[in-house]
Amino acid sequence: MPGLNSLLALPKAVSRSGSVSALEVVNLWKKYGNNQALGGASFSVAPGERLALLGPNGAGKTTLIRAMCGRVRADEGQVLLFGQSIRKPDVLQQLGVIPQDLAIYTDLTAKENLQCFGRLHGLRSRQLRERVAWALKWIGLEDRANELTSQFSGGMKRRVNIACGVLHHPKVLLLDEPTVGVDPQSRQRIFDMLDELSQLGTSIVLTTHHLDEAETRSDRIVIVDHGRVVADGPIEELIANTIGVRREVAIEVGGMLVAAPPGMEWSSARNRFVCFVDNVVDELPVILERIQRVGGAILDLEVHQPNLHHVFLHLTGKELRE
Amino acid sequence: MIWTVIQTSWRRLRNNRSELLLTFIVPMVFFSIFALIFGSRDSSGTTPKIKVAICNEWPTELSDRAVALLQEQKSLRITDRSSRTRASAEDLVRRGMVSAAVVFNKPTPDRVNGQAVQVEVLSDSFDQVASQVLTAVVQKAVMTANAEIAKSARTSSTTADGMGGVELASYSNVASPTMHMPQPPNISAVDIIGGKKTNPVIAMYAAGIAVMFLLFSATTASGSLLEERENSTLDRLLCSRLTMDQLLLGKWAFLTMIGCVQMTLMFVWGAIVFGIDLQHHVEGFIAMTIVTAGAASSFALMLAALCKSRMQLGWVSTIVILTMSALGGSMVPRYLMSETMQNAGLWTFNAWALDGYNKIFWRELPLRDIGMELAVLATSGLIFIVAARVFAIRWERT
Repeated sequence: MPGLNSLLALPKAVSRSGSVSALEVVNLWKKYGNNQALGGASFSVAPGERLALLGPNGAGKTTLIRAMCGRVRADEGQVLLFGQSIRKPDVLQQLGVIPQDLAIYTDLTAKENLQCFGRLHGLRSRQLRERVAWALKWIGLEDRANELTSQFSGGMKRRVNIACGVLHHPKVLLLDEPTVGVDPQSRQRIFDMLDELSQLGTSIVLTTHHLDEAETRSDRIVIVDHGRVVADGPIEELIANTIGVRREVAIEVGGMLVAAPPGMEWSSARNRFVCFVDNVVDELPVILERIQRVGGAILDLEVHQPNLHHVFLHLTGKELRE
Repeated sequence: MIWTVIQTSWRRLRNNRSELLLTFIVPMVFFSIFALIFGSRDSSGTTPKIKVAICNEWPTELSDRAVALLQEQKSLRITDRSSRTRASAEDLVRRGMVSAAVVFNKPTPDRVNGQAVQVEVLSDSFDQVASQVLTAVVQKAVMTANAEIAKSARTSSTTADGMGGVELASYSNVASPTMHMPQPPNISAVDIIGGKKTNPVIAMYAAGIAVMFLLFSATTASGSLLEERENSTLDRLLCSRLTMDQLLLGKWAFLTMIGCVQMTLMFVWGAIVFGIDLQHHVEGFIAMTIVTAGAASSFALMLAALCKSRMQLGWVSTIVILTMSALGGSMVPRYLMSETMQNAGLWTFNAWALDGYNKIFWRELPLRDIGMELAVLATSGLIFIVAARVFAIRWERT
């Protein structure tokens, strides 16, 4: 009979919904010299779930992604795929990895790249042909299959890059900044492709700097800072648990102010006074009156519904790109 | 404007350590290497000595004296005096054990006492300097010996005339009247290897150039490993079913195949255009080419696994390959180097590869005679690939 300690050490490969997690990150620690890249990160991903991994630069996102695919050996903790350690043979075959860089051979054609990575993932003969044909159709490059990828646009290369990671039909897909340096239309196309995979049951974990995309294109958000998970949940839950339902009021003020308007903070980045209100109708007139009382003239006024950007700032104290 | 361009270019150069090294340090390194290789020839301690075998088929006073004089020569290293016959001396030259052999021929029945001594210098025109120097040295030694004997005979004759007839009687039995007039020695130089070849120099240099370019192309191609690491393709590859062992072995096999094709094309071209006798040495060529290409590929992968970036690989491989090629004889024949440098060259596999190819194409030796070269190259190839695997451990998991 296992002791209490060993029972506690058992991985809880169960998602928030109660089903077995597709991916479970359990208390990951990693140190590079004096830099603590990961400081006990833990979270899970359910089958078919789309999870956005956010954090300021240097928060440990890429280390986390690399640890999840076994490319970084964590000092402590483990990563489980459907309840099994990724260190076990063949477990990683359920995982697809899309690195931040264009990890394709630009001196091969799109088709040759797909064939190469398909073979390396164990696909052969008819199955390989079918999956390559599917991938070319999926990324919309059937008509340019035999062109060298060096001749492709950035967005097209990104699509080939993603297709090379999903040929073997992974159950979990890790994407590190899949839309970096890509124009809005190509970004839209890439997220449509990922939605398609998600509908087919693939769990998707992606890091991004585009908060709007994370907000609209994911089911759940995990915010990482200093190598730890500082927030985990759907966007509505994160907003409710951090800022609440209050609205943000941002006012551009002119004139000679004798003092800062009471109850408002100056945002130098936005060049506005900012505050949060529970009831816009009741509280906004009071705020405007306060500004006028200290000698300010209202030049512009914005009322925002709380969003991921506010949550992020609230939790990390930084803009996403800092 | 122009000043701004100059200023910016200087600042960029200053911030790029690799380029700084290539611009200012590498030329000095190469100058030093070549100065060591060729400059040391003039210092007496390290001047290359000619390896010589002496075969005294018919020992006479003249030949013994000449051999003694040859042994006193500082420019010669008498490596084997046990050659009893001309055939064994020729075999030593043919195998490259010595640069040349001096044979004091057994007199033929038609020769009579007192006639010019017959000396053959069996040379290998692979070492073009040795045969010419040795011929001159032998000529000098034999003539000196001849003159000394004649002088001694005259002295004996004078002494005998004054002191009694016993010595004269005994001397007159062997000495002809012409002994007092030394005949010039009959010295003939025989090129026993290159003489019958149509293009002796081409066969010698083909291997040198081929091995050097094999190394360059292999290291350039092995840079793909660093490219894959730099753009995260290596991460993707290692997240598939591919292991680092398979990746390295796959690249090694590819580089070896490309190397074999490269060498084959070069020698086929050499055979068609320059008359290298490839068709009679196919067996040895295949054996040497496979092990040389394999060793070069392993070496290239080791360098790639050792370096941090393609740029670093570029300048490290340039320095290492040019140094190895210079020391190993790809640029200039090793016999022109000092003994110290010749010995240092044995630490490069260029030297072993070149020796192997020379034995096949130049000396026309059978496959069994290149066993040592094949063994050294195969072993070094194995060591290099194991080293590459060890260096690549850091890429597996960071």
